[in-house]
Amino acid sequence: MTHRLKGGTALALVAAVGLAASPALAEEYFIGVMSAQSGYLAPYDQPAYAGFKFCIEEKNANGGLNGEIPVRIEVRDTRSDMAETVKVTQELVDEGAKFIVSSADADPTIASGQITQPAGIPTMTFAGTAPVLTQVGEFVFGSYPADNQQGTVLADFATEQGFERVYILKSPDSAYTLGGPEYFAEVFEKNGGTVVGESLYSLNQPDFSAIVTKIKNTEPAPDIIVTWAWEPDFPAFIKALRGAGLDTQVMGGDVLDTPTIRGLGDVVDGTYHTSGGFPEEGSAYADFVKRFEEATGSPPDNNYYVNGCDIANMIEQAVAAAGTTDPGAVAEALANIEDGKGIMSNFTFKGTDRMPLRPVVIAKIHGDGTKEFIKRGMADPEKLPAP
Amino acid sequence: MTAAGLEDLPRRRLGRQTAQTVLAVAAILVVSFGIEWLLGRYGERIATQMCVNIAAVVAIGLFVGNSGIVSFGHAAFMGIGAYLSGILTMPAMMQRTALPQLPDFLAGHELALPVALVIVLVVGLGFALATGIPITRLTGASATIATLGLLIIVHSVMIGAREITRGSQTFFGVPRVTTFEVAIAAAVAFVILARLFRESRWGLMLRATRDNESAAVALGINPRTVRLISWVLSGGLAAIAGALYGHMLGAFSPNTFYLTLTFTLVAMLIVGGMATVSGAVCGVMVVTLLQDTVRQAEGGFTIGTFEVPAVFGLTTVALSLAILIVIWLRPDGIFGRREAMIPGLTAIFTRLIAIAPTAPAPAAKPQNAAPLAVDGLTKSFQGLKAVDGAGFTVPQGTVTGMIGPNGAGKSTVVNLLTCQFPADAGTMRFGDVELRGRAPHTIAPLGLGRTFQNLRLFENLTVYENVLVAGLAAGCSVKESKARAIRELSLLDLEEEAELLAGSLPYGARKRLEIARCLAQEPSLILLDEPAAGMNPEETSDLAARLVRLTEERHIAILLIDHDLEFVNRLSASIVVMNRGRVIANGTPAEIRDNPDVIEAYIGRGRSAAQTTPTTQGAIA
Repeated sequence: MTHRLKGGTALALVAAVGLAASPALAEEYFIGVMSAQSGYLAPYDQPAYAGFKFCIEEKNANGGLNGEIPVRIEVRDTRSDMAETVKVTQELVDEGAKFIVSSADADPTIASGQITQPAGIPTMTFAGTAPVLTQVGEFVFGSYPADNQQGTVLADFATEQGFERVYILKSPDSAYTLGGPEYFAEVFEKNGGTVVGESLYSLNQPDFSAIVTKIKNTEPAPDIIVTWAWEPDFPAFIKALRGAGLDTQVMGGDVLDTPTIRGLGDVVDGTYHTSGGFPEEGSAYADFVKRFEEATGSPPDNNYYVNGCDIANMIEQAVAAAGTTDPGAVAEALANIEDGKGIMSNFTFKGTDRMPLRPVVIAKIHGDGTKEFIKRGMADPEKLPAP
Repeated sequence: MTAAGLEDLPRRRLGRQTAQTVLAVAAILVVSFGIEWLLGRYGERIATQMCVNIAAVVAIGLFVGNSGIVSFGHAAFMGIGAYLSGILTMPAMMQRTALPQLPDFLAGHELALPVALVIVLVVGLGFALATGIPITRLTGASATIATLGLLIIVHSVMIGAREITRGSQTFFGVPRVTTFEVAIAAAVAFVILARLFRESRWGLMLRATRDNESAAVALGINPRTVRLISWVLSGGLAAIAGALYGHMLGAFSPNTFYLTLTFTLVAMLIVGGMATVSGAVCGVMVVTLLQDTVRQAEGGFTIGTFEVPAVFGLTTVALSLAILIVIWLRPDGIFGRREAMIPGLTAIFTRLIAIAPTAPAPAAKPQNAAPLAVDGLTKSFQGLKAVDGAGFTVPQGTVTGMIGPNGAGKSTVVNLLTCQFPADAGTMRFGDVELRGRAPHTIAPLGLGRTFQNLRLFENLTVYENVLVAGLAAGCSVKESKARAIRELSLLDLEEEAELLAGSLPYGARKRLEIARCLAQEPSLILLDEPAAGMNPEETSDLAARLVRLTEERHIAILLIDHDLEFVNRLSASIVVMNRGRVIANGTPAEIRDNPDVIEAYIGRGRSAAQTTPTTQGAIA
């Protein structure tokens, strides 16, 4: 079989080149980006890629990673399609990518991981937050604070605020909308709170009046409602809830950190949500926002941009620690990073199952369309629910 | 075509069918190995994905193409196949981590792919049978909506069955064993199976049903049965295609087998042409090649010093444009309604096939028809009595005419006799059998055939196949059906047209074809509903001569309904006259001619006294 021979030779060559490479040679470091530039994941992957590309270009302008290893990025569109995801990942691996950055969701990241894991190539998701995704193996990494970390920090915050009875609204249609509230509930109950009721909704459900009626009739009445719903479900829900005259406190996941949610006005006034970071005055994040806006002309208006940039930082620090670009060594170095310097926040992989421990921000939305920084917290590893 | 040419037609047809299958298979092999040769491993992956998609689209086409009902439900079968095969083949170690709550009977099998595929097939067939029983009772848009409902239900169950599927979370650890070779083998096998089914007895009867359900029912075909057979087969194959898809991905979730996949596959089928296997194959190839070519341009490239920036989404734009262009220029898809063919290939394969010419069936045995006796037959449509206590008999081996002005209820009588409508009251005894209350498709097997007032042919079958399917529907062997088809085609002088699509025939030939189709079932009584309508005098008298010969040679009884009184008078031993739903006269042509009630019904009161004028005599005679 000729193609086997050809493939085999190519692999051997790639391996040889990989082994021979050392920073001193200023060899190009090839990072393959498997991302959804179109389709339903594009709203997350596009900003993440923009941020990643921006920071890699900044680094390249200064000589590359750690000032000495120039980086070549190759981006391929998966169209948010699983079969395409698999094909694209295989192509990038074939072409000799030494690091793969994958789409912002668990499904495509796990599918890619099943290819990169046996090939021994470290793979990091843009913003997949389902903690399950790193179970594929030791070459698969998360980058964003996982759902269980966000759930834990939010639950501790809710307990601190004196809330005791939670109503959970979740959707089984995605790991995110289902997992977040469940992690919250688990920690909230450990803290002594109770779950007084829960409802399931479907993604893109147009009408929430039945659920609101159920919440209204729940005895004892909840003092807080928690949901990881995103758009358009969250706006539909919050309008129905406030329209029915209920002013129960609502808390949600990091998907609420968007200009459109903040633009909903009075109905979202006072809503708390988690977030990966907050561009406080004078912070590295604020500086990134300024640099990015100057360079591209558009503001990075969600955390995916800065997290994309932090992925570049994570790779840079792993390569520095490994002292080589060899994929196996980089993966091992990455897994052992402790309190690495990031722009959105610092990150610790050591001691985790490769979902980094990063601080989670709690923010509060105001009716005038602004958000307020409330606190920054780390999930207590003792309480962290199992994925 | 000569008579000998007609006898050689089954051989040529088999030659063409073989050539069509070989062509589709060759296309798969050439394109797959071509891409692989051209692009190496990169091409191998494109070809693997393409072949798995071919398997899936061909499986869907097996139902959609032959039944004419678009299905949105096949992704459900694919999902079931993928999850089941994934669980059965998953390494036990991986299974314990990924699926800790898996029920014991599913856990720890670690089967090889072929064994798992057999189980997937059995489960797929079983699930298709269970879902097909309700779905195949429906037709058209309501059937399509039901398949969509099936998809939604299965999707919800897959999300809900968390112990088995991990719910909406990613299901991973599935061995990635869909190699290039496995995918090609599956695509080729599926194409051959789909082609065999399409040309089989059941495939032909289903395509007849697709083209004209009432006519198929009148031939004794039970539409639900033939639809169910293809649904079950199609579902079983789709489950296997899904398993291969799952083994190609390695990780998936219920959303993988939902609307996006459904629309992708259906779009491929529409581009190629739904009605044929070559359309399914071609659709997948065109879409794959188009998307993978356009994809090369997406990531940005440099021409000289000019840098073209990355523009993502081009593939989707290209696919949408392709669909629009195809729908605009070729609404039936690239290959339309007939399987793709290269001129000359038929001849080569026909030469390779060594089957003897098929002799026409011996003249049909004289039929000893039971008499048809109708009494007190009544049918109302929302208060309007279309047939009101009608009674008459059709004796064995004779032609009984039925005349009456427009709206007299003649066609309604035919539809009541063939149980197209249920009668409100009365009896219709055919020999010892009571027809009233029977299912419409059980009438033809009794020996009671019919033609339709508005021609109802199977437009997308050839003339020969129109007659062949009638024999098959009557329960004859393939051999006997072929022989009968050849006999009836030469009897009605349709030799020249035998290989044309029925839809392309001129009017007179269509009329004759409908009669040939009816005769191939060797009925003992035929209900001819206005056979001469729209024909010129020459054609009418030619038809009359043929009918006379039939009754003489085969002793077939005919109930002849027509407006052309001369035509009816010339053929009929007795005539039944209807007006406003009632039988107003019954007797020999001579008696009818002189019956004042008849004249009044036709010409109107007051004028009947002047019946002696030659003009009116002529009109009735």
